Amino acid sequence: MRILLVEDTEGLGEVIREQITDEGHAVDWVLTIAHADVSLRSVDYDLILLDLMLPDGNGLDLLTKIRHSGKTTPVIILTARDQISDRIKGLNAGADDYLVKPFDLSELSARIAAVSRRYAGNPNPIVNIGALGIDLTKHLVYRDGATINLTAREWALLEAFIQRPGTLLSKAQLEDHLYAFGSEIESNTIEVYVSRLRKKLGSDQLETVRGQGYRMKLL
Amino acid sequence: MKLLKGRVLKGRVQKSRASTSLQKKLSISLTLGMTFLWMLALLVAVFVSQIKLNDLFDSALAETAQRIMPLAVVEILNREDITQPQNIMSFAAHDEQLVYLVRDSLGKILLQSHNAEPTDFNQTLLEGFSSSTTHRFYGAWAVQNSLHIEVAELLIDRKEAIIELALSFLWPLLLLVPLCLLGTWILVRYSLRYIIAYRKAIESRGSGDLSPINVNGLPTEILATAESVNNLLERLRRALEAERSFTANSAHELRTPIAIALAQIQRLQQEVPTGKARERAINVESSLRKLSDLSEKLMQLAKAEGGGLLSTEQHDLISLLKLIVDDRKRSSVTCNATSGLVIDMTLPKSGVFMSTIDPDAFAILVQNLLDNAIKHGRKNQPVVVGFSEQGELSIVNAAEVVPEEPLKQLRRRFVRANTSVQGSGLGLAIADAIATGIGASMTFNSPASGRKEGFEVKVSFPLMIKPNDKVAK
Repeated sequence: MRILLVEDTEGLGEVIREQITDEGHAVDWVLTIAHADVSLRSVDYDLILLDLMLPDGNGLDLLTKIRHSGKTTPVIILTARDQISDRIKGLNAGADDYLVKPFDLSELSARIAAVSRRYAGNPNPIVNIGALGIDLTKHLVYRDGATINLTAREWALLEAFIQRPGTLLSKAQLEDHLYAFGSEIESNTIEVYVSRLRKKLGSDQLETVRGQGYRMKLL
Repeated sequence: MKLLKGRVLKGRVQKSRASTSLQKKLSISLTLGMTFLWMLALLVAVFVSQIKLNDLFDSALAETAQRIMPLAVVEILNREDITQPQNIMSFAAHDEQLVYLVRDSLGKILLQSHNAEPTDFNQTLLEGFSSSTTHRFYGAWAVQNSLHIEVAELLIDRKEAIIELALSFLWPLLLLVPLCLLGTWILVRYSLRYIIAYRKAIESRGSGDLSPINVNGLPTEILATAESVNNLLERLRRALEAERSFTANSAHELRTPIAIALAQIQRLQQEVPTGKARERAINVESSLRKLSDLSEKLMQLAKAEGGGLLSTEQHDLISLLKLIVDDRKRSSVTCNATSGLVIDMTLPKSGVFMSTIDPDAFAILVQNLLDNAIKHGRKNQPVVVGFSEQGELSIVNAAEVVPEEPLKQLRRRFVRANTSVQGSGLGLAIADAIATGIGASMTFNSPASGRKEGFEVKVSFPLMIKPNDKVAK
């Protein structure tokens, strides 16, 4: 997933970015509302992690602006404000979840996964596609009872297909999903990862539409 | 200590109220004052009446002597032997109120009324009014001072007349005194109705309620004081809000560095291989968690005891409860300590319970009770959360029965019934401080109601306070 992290505390933002990147997501980390605004105009993010008390304003104002613009991007608020009234304000402003600092990094990962599943229209963490069984919580793939090991990047690519089952995804869309701003991407990176996924999952799972992109077969 | 102070203060208020009830004092003193004035008026009336009656009786006595004397003179002079005394017989049997003697200048009785007793009369022949211990007399001379008449009247008859007169005044008074007491009581109560409402509004509020008290209708004598009390409450509320804001900001400032340290140490654990360094990282993480929990609890305790636990707006406690339980369920998905947690919730059909309790205070209360139930409940057995139509929250967890003595101590800070489970020992003390502050009652039951084991906490929230009791000045 392509995730926007809006967090002004450098020590924390850095760790969150590392954690999420390790899980195969592409993270753009910004420290202010102004920078977040710029990023949101240029990229269609899959998820936003939003701190509330930011140097140039309240994160809730940014959230309200996002919702008023018609964007339905899932938003998880990360804040040190633990009062229920703040939580209600956040949820009323359009947040999908609310995580109070300090939190476990594993809990953050679980919340990200839960929110993205809800948005994909499938809150069930176990997905079955053809002969494949996919546990979205544990990041595991099974075929005929055997576990298939995927690297973080391969998992992120698979997740992109699972989120839009049967949808044709262009190479640019997949690059956006996998890489943050400033990442060095080889021209054939997506082809390499698709090829690796095919080898592990089975060649019949991913279909190539020449000149347009890739699609995950539902059966 | 704070609770003790509150109880002592309440006791003082009750004692002072019992000894100086304005309503009682006014009713009794007004009735006594009125009764005293009536009695004084009655005595004056009786005294004046006595003087007037004596004048009238004396006048009647003199008039009787003046009327009888000519008849007596004719009667005596027409006798053959005027020296023979004669007793005047009555036409019909009757008691004489007035008796008389007609005597010559030497005091010899010439004529007397039939009931006259000569020994009762003056032995000296006097003219005009005179009195003995038993009679009142009027004497007069006639026929060149050769005949003397003396008419007598029993003084006791006069006294009886005065007593009857006084009693006729007194009987209505005896009836009027209780009526006056009742009337005064009603009048005073009616006049003091706003003061009584004011007193009740103060009595019914919890120690955390700092909203202004309704001063409408209060008499001018007390209005200034009541307004000063409201101003004081407002100043106190602002001071507590500032303190609360400081606590919230401090909590925020504390959480951020702890969050950084915790996240960094968790990343470090992922990066270092298994061994001593990783064990140390795990120990540091554990200490950070304890620090985080303790600072969190102390902040909550500061809020719970700092006042401002009631809001001027009403909130639906059931919606808040759903939100808190839902959040707890979601947190438990990834938290190893509570994985497999099931929270069963029973809510009333109406689905709404409005209250002026501050939502954050309610959340802290419920979160602490839930934490307690989850920590001390048996694993893989559900925590049961219920909320009744009458505003009673109950949280039950499966556990061994807690003996009576430790059960009584659980409200105290740093007291834990089960020391094998990690905890600060502050959760139930925080819940108790909030329950006390909002005027709710909190009870612990073990075994839980309708069970043979388990631990149950029940919190009865006060019913919605009527808006007219809480109108701003």
